[in-house]
Amino acid sequence: MAAYRRNSRTRNVLAVLVLLALTLVTIDARSHGGGALGQIRSKVADAFSPLQRATHAALRPIGNFITGAADYGSLRAENERLRQELAQAQSQAAVSQAEQQQAEQVLHNHQLDRGVLGTIPMVAVQIIQQGPSNFDNTVTVDKGAADGLSRGQPVLAAGALVGTVVSAAAHIATVELVTDPNFQVGVSLAGGNVGSAQGAGRGLPIRVQVFSTNLAVPDNKRGQVVVTSGLSLEKFPKGIPVGTVTNISTSPGAVEPVFYLTPMVDPLSISYLDVALWSPQ
Amino acid sequence: MTDLIRARMRIGLLLIAAVLIETTLGSDMRVDGVAPDLMVLVAVCAGLTGGTLAGAWVGFWSGLLFDMFLTATPVGLSALTYCLIGAAVGALRATVVQERRSLLPLAALVGTGAGVLLFVGAGDVLGQTQLLGAGRAWLIRVMIVESLWNVVLALPVGYIYAWVARGSAGAALVGSPVARPAAPIVK
Repeated sequence: MAAYRRNSRTRNVLAVLVLLALTLVTIDARSHGGGALGQIRSKVADAFSPLQRATHAALRPIGNFITGAADYGSLRAENERLRQELAQAQSQAAVSQAEQQQAEQVLHNHQLDRGVLGTIPMVAVQIIQQGPSNFDNTVTVDKGAADGLSRGQPVLAAGALVGTVVSAAAHIATVELVTDPNFQVGVSLAGGNVGSAQGAGRGLPIRVQVFSTNLAVPDNKRGQVVVTSGLSLEKFPKGIPVGTVTNISTSPGAVEPVFYLTPMVDPLSISYLDVALWSPQ
Repeated sequence: MTDLIRARMRIGLLLIAAVLIETTLGSDMRVDGVAPDLMVLVAVCAGLTGGTLAGAWVGFWSGLLFDMFLTATPVGLSALTYCLIGAAVGALRATVVQERRSLLPLAALVGTGAGVLLFVGAGDVLGQTQLLGAGRAWLIRVMIVESLWNVVLALPVGYIYAWVARGSAGAALVGSPVARPAAPIVK
């Protein structure tokens, strides 16, 4: 009899906890993370951020050591490849510098706009946490609303798009990376075409779906850089590099090809990012 | 202050320490792009040491705390998953699983793999279809690597959990009276 009562109590407690969790999921999903639960989540993350920074600073060398040991073979090969690329880049840099000076002189002479991006103020931020879940393509950075960050701002690394701010507490913000399946941005393609680039998950290429129009099919080639379109109602200014075309496929019967892009920068391999203080309006 | 309250407070502090380590060191320790999941491991340890009720309670709070640091999934999804995993481990321990030295790593392996599947499956049913957006290959990779990670971490985390839950007479104070105490697992 006593055992029956114990089992009954266990079942009741488990049922209450499951129902409570389901209720929380439903409430938060319906408010798209912006309701009371979203605010609580934001405040908890903000309150923990000093502890996280301290823990991260203390433990990061251990994490780097373990990851480095696990990836030793691939790191050696990558190091070799990067040395070769560096040598090529150094020789190209001298040529590019001269061309850049000429181009800037031309722009200056003709009083041309240097593009929207050149006029947008940037805030340098440090990554203090990568998405802790293996299904979370986000990073947390060490600046927040107090520094001017707000939802929807583009985040760059080395001038290339790496994500967007999805939430900003007072002193930290969360950046959704371009590889997240929820991330979408309009891009310009060859021949005046435009498309929508969408993440497909960590380590997977970004997929570009071309919008069907009366224009000729875009003939972007492998290795070409695709940039944001910046059309009206778009989230980001035009001209930000999104990725390099690495694969092109056309399904049987489809008119438009699908382009696959490799992001210009892997944000998980660097520590600092730039947030453009820009809003669509 | 009673032993029960002291044990609960220590478990609470362990959860806070675990989430700090998980969100800092854990997310840096990636093998093949996959990080370990300390929070589900704590739920597994709670189920093993305390039984069904302890597994459910600790799993729920462990998941809820972890949910506070996630952005792509709604609050409560990890709580639901880890609560069920902790409870299932506790129930199996109390009924069908035989006592053996490899029990803790084995529970970590199976519990973590099942946790990944349940998280994605429950999320998909509850409208979080982006969890399957990265494809089955990524899901399988996460299941395998995360489970192996947790096998490696199972013994130290199991020892720490049993130490933290000391004085609670194992199951009697932090969980279900039907489960066995921590001693056989950590000796």
